[in-house]
Amino acid sequence: MSPQVAAYWYVFLKGVGITLWISWLALILGGVVGLVIGLLRIAPWAIVRWAAIVYIEVFRSVPPLVLFFGCFYGLSFAMKLDLSPFSAATIALTLTASALMAEVVRAGIESVTRGQWEAALSQGMTYPQVFRYVIWPQAIRVMLPPSVGVYISTLKDSSLASIIGYVELTKSGLLVRESTGISFEVLLIIAILYFIINYSISLVGTALERRFKYVH
Amino acid sequence: MYEFNLAGLLPYTGPLPRAIVLTLWLSTLSILLSVAVGVLGALCRTSTSLILRWIGGAYVEVLRNIPLLVVIYLIFFGLAQVGLRVDGFNSALIALTLNAGAYMTEIFRGGLTAIPRGQYEAARSQGMTGYQLYRYVVFPQVFRIIYAPLGNLMIGIVIGSSLASVIGVEEVTTWMRRAGDETFRYMESFLAVGVIYVVLAQTINIGRIVTGRWLLSRAPIGHRR
Repeated sequence: MSPQVAAYWYVFLKGVGITLWISWLALILGGVVGLVIGLLRIAPWAIVRWAAIVYIEVFRSVPPLVLFFGCFYGLSFAMKLDLSPFSAATIALTLTASALMAEVVRAGIESVTRGQWEAALSQGMTYPQVFRYVIWPQAIRVMLPPSVGVYISTLKDSSLASIIGYVELTKSGLLVRESTGISFEVLLIIAILYFIINYSISLVGTALERRFKYVH
Repeated sequence: MYEFNLAGLLPYTGPLPRAIVLTLWLSTLSILLSVAVGVLGALCRTSTSLILRWIGGAYVEVLRNIPLLVVIYLIFFGLAQVGLRVDGFNSALIALTLNAGAYMTEIFRGGLTAIPRGQYEAARSQGMTGYQLYRYVVFPQVFRIIYAPLGNLMIGIVIGSSLASVIGVEEVTTWMRRAGDETFRYMESFLAVGVIYVVLAQTINIGRIVTGRWLLSRAPIGHRR
């Protein structure tokens, strides 16, 4: 590493921290929204199901970059909200992550066979009880490994926040590139940092998958 | 109060068809090239040579864990500094192909390893040639496994092609930013382009579902549901 670039080590470090923070925040928010949408997706009423399908398909089909743009400029102008790049990035990432999480939640709950619902209900349990004590503990095991995939994908999408001027890892790299004039090396460092972060997370995911391997 | 006015974008619709064509062209080229890369990668990952398996595995892990945006910047800005000048469209094409190729590799590998060894041996012992073996035994089964993830990946490629806008390729997302900048109708241009992407993605999605139905209807008796 050349000394000019090495002098900016703290910028890279801060970028890593911010990238981890915003993608984690978006995963949590997206997980909550995704849980609601995922439950609506398998609701007994057709209209609710369709609304959930439209939500999922729309936010899976619109590129995150376009969402960032819509949240930052679109919402700011249309609603007079004057969102900061951080808020706009969090909203955009949450929308994308929630659509992915909704599918994970649906797959998790549907992995528990219908017969268990019927058996638990016929035992006199209420719907919330069946969900809390019978379905959820089994569904969460199916949901955990793919959630790690959603986290990695959200973390990669967070690089797009650089477009609206939010200084996370990618933007930090671009700033260092501008002040040192060294492109290849700086971008390579950014790529390596992303690789280290995401590969570590995916190793955790593999461990989770092994830990929660479960045969019905 | 904000007045929603989609008609404000009308004077800027002139370059839109070209932009849509460019998005489609970039996506189609990337899909075709990444299928080639994926087949090659899957053959590497399932090969008997340890070195080839390791190279295939390293390629998949590296490209799956780096954001596409960073790969695009590396090729566009990074290579230029080393002396290799690649223009915007080709940078995006190379980056998209490398990125999608890693996912293609995993899809094809999944398809190939799902066929038990015994079937190859059985087909061979029936006197089938290599071509017949792949045409009548391996490929029909592999295709049934891979068509669903393949459809999702194609949608991913169309979505990924939007990143070409950051290095000045005049595709749909660039049009959205330009129309927004010139009219301040950001919300309208965002919604218009959002609809375009949803239509593109859902066309692929419906195509995938139709293919799935058709495949199931042609499934051998035992596989019918």
